[in-house]
Amino acid sequence: MFWWVLPAAAVAAAAAAWTAIRRRKPDVRRRPAAHSDRLTMLPEYQDALRRHRRWLAVAGLACAALLASAAVAAARPVQLTTTVPEQRNRDIMLCLDVSGSMSSADAAVVEVFAELAREFDGERIGLTIFDSTGSQVFPLTDDYGYAREQLLLARDAFDGKPGGSGFLDGTWGGRGSSLIGDGLASCLSGFPRTQDSDTRADSPEAKRSRSVVLATDNYVSGNPILTLPQAAALAQDRTVRVYALNPGDLDYGSDPGQPGAQLRTAAESTGGSYYALDNPGAVPGIVTAVQETEATALKGAPRAVVSDQPVLPLGVAVLSGITLGAALWRMRL
Amino acid sequence: MTSLLPRVKSKMAIFAHRKARGMLDGEYGSVFRGRSLDFDDLRAYVPGDEVRDIDWKASARHGSPLIRRYVAVRRQTLILVADTGRNMAAVSRSGEVKKDIAVMALGVAGYLAYRHGDVVGLVSGDSAATGTIPAKAGEAHLERLLRHVDSHAGLDAAPSRIEDQLDHVARTVKGRNLLFVVADEIPASPALEQLLRRLRAQHEILWLTIRDADLVPSGATPSSGAGFFSVSDSVVLPMHIAATEAIAAAYANAAAERDAARNTMLRRTGITEGTVDGSRDVVSALFALLERHRRAG
Repeated sequence: MFWWVLPAAAVAAAAAAWTAIRRRKPDVRRRPAAHSDRLTMLPEYQDALRRHRRWLAVAGLACAALLASAAVAAARPVQLTTTVPEQRNRDIMLCLDVSGSMSSADAAVVEVFAELAREFDGERIGLTIFDSTGSQVFPLTDDYGYAREQLLLARDAFDGKPGGSGFLDGTWGGRGSSLIGDGLASCLSGFPRTQDSDTRADSPEAKRSRSVVLATDNYVSGNPILTLPQAAALAQDRTVRVYALNPGDLDYGSDPGQPGAQLRTAAESTGGSYYALDNPGAVPGIVTAVQETEATALKGAPRAVVSDQPVLPLGVAVLSGITLGAALWRMRL
Repeated sequence: MTSLLPRVKSKMAIFAHRKARGMLDGEYGSVFRGRSLDFDDLRAYVPGDEVRDIDWKASARHGSPLIRRYVAVRRQTLILVADTGRNMAAVSRSGEVKKDIAVMALGVAGYLAYRHGDVVGLVSGDSAATGTIPAKAGEAHLERLLRHVDSHAGLDAAPSRIEDQLDHVARTVKGRNLLFVVADEIPASPALEQLLRRLRAQHEILWLTIRDADLVPSGATPSSGAGFFSVSDSVVLPMHIAATEAIAAAYANAAAERDAARNTMLRRTGITEGTVDGSRDVVSALFALLERHRRAG
């Protein structure tokens, strides 16, 4: 990162060495000695001198390695990688039509999300069920244990296991049944209100993507307060993508007035997509596909990540320092 | 530069106070045997005089020992042989520069000779050149000799080689003289032994060895002193690596063998040797040397 440190360190080391060589003054306290060869020619002394020179070489090498690695570490070596960050700040609202025809598909959806909730990290998940009126089972939460518990409860209820009938309480009593537009609208109301923060793109709330997994066959009986297109417009307004799962696509022809075509139009108008199911067993694959699509859609721009790599030079520096210390101790300097 | 001879004299005065006055003179006087038979006078006995010079009859009359003095037939010549090479600029065992010890020893010997009425000459030099200062009497001459030694032995002198000076003496000096050789711990060699044998046939020789510094002080810590550098090539001796038992033992062994070989060589050639560590014990070492020489007879 700071590669100019290396030549600067080399110049500084060279200057220090030059000064040390230039300034080497004879120690005035040293006394002259005659017949020094009587000592230096002793084989014992020669052995000791050889050992000393070896340790001196080790110390010199260690010192050089220490200086070099310290200079390299000071230059902050970095690794430059390009990553495509996958956003984890998604809000997923499961919006399930609990009219009788939908139960097996609903069971498959919640089961898949119960599995997915294990791997969630940063996402929030909520569950709203509706028939004639909407009922929020649990709001958007990142308490995945709780969410999973609730999702498994929902699955048992949809499968018709004993004791699960109370789960669907509160979804009747409205005018008619399968009021899809109202159900979708109540799902949308489960997202936090962000009218203010929508204008501020940097607020954390504004950066969270929102999606609704809407499982319905779009057979309306009764008079909803909001029609499906109105609810879709609301979703569009609140930047919520709707992924529609239709287990009973029984359209005849390509008339846009058919329920499946309406659902497709509504979903695609919000930026989501529409999946028609032939049987409930296909749900896991489709939900995973939705999850994948969502993940790709949310991938941010490729970003260059600069990370320090100080391990190697600092490791070398530590090793050289230890070697230098050992050599100096061995030489009794 | 202060005078060198007064320093020598003061040293001798201190010694004279410690031992009996005149003792050194007596020792010096008995270096040569075979005096003339011309009786001069009597003087009081001082320790160190030859017992056979005592005039027993006169002593009996006088009540204390008296020594017969004879008229010196010829003046003796003392030739100081000194090494003024680079080795003498090194330190001795006592830590002083060996040159200072050599000047002190030469001064003491020369002053004894001067008091005895002898003339003193100097043969000094190094491996490059050897010079002679002819023998003369007088304190001024002695001072000049000492200054010559003092000024020539330095770190910028040529390497030491005492054999050259001895060879010079053998070739140029005639007659029977007293040689006083001051050198450091030179190694024995057959060539040197032959040369010394040749010199001993002609001269009376006193040999004073100045002990070299102990490069590996046994038992001393490596931090004592700042170490040495070699006078021959100015290379610093890394003392801390030599401070091991094995090296100290080997060095001490080698030094002992060298000393023994030199002692044997000098004894075989009939030369009396004395050793001196520092200038403090120059006078006593010289006294011991003269005493030993007289005993060895």
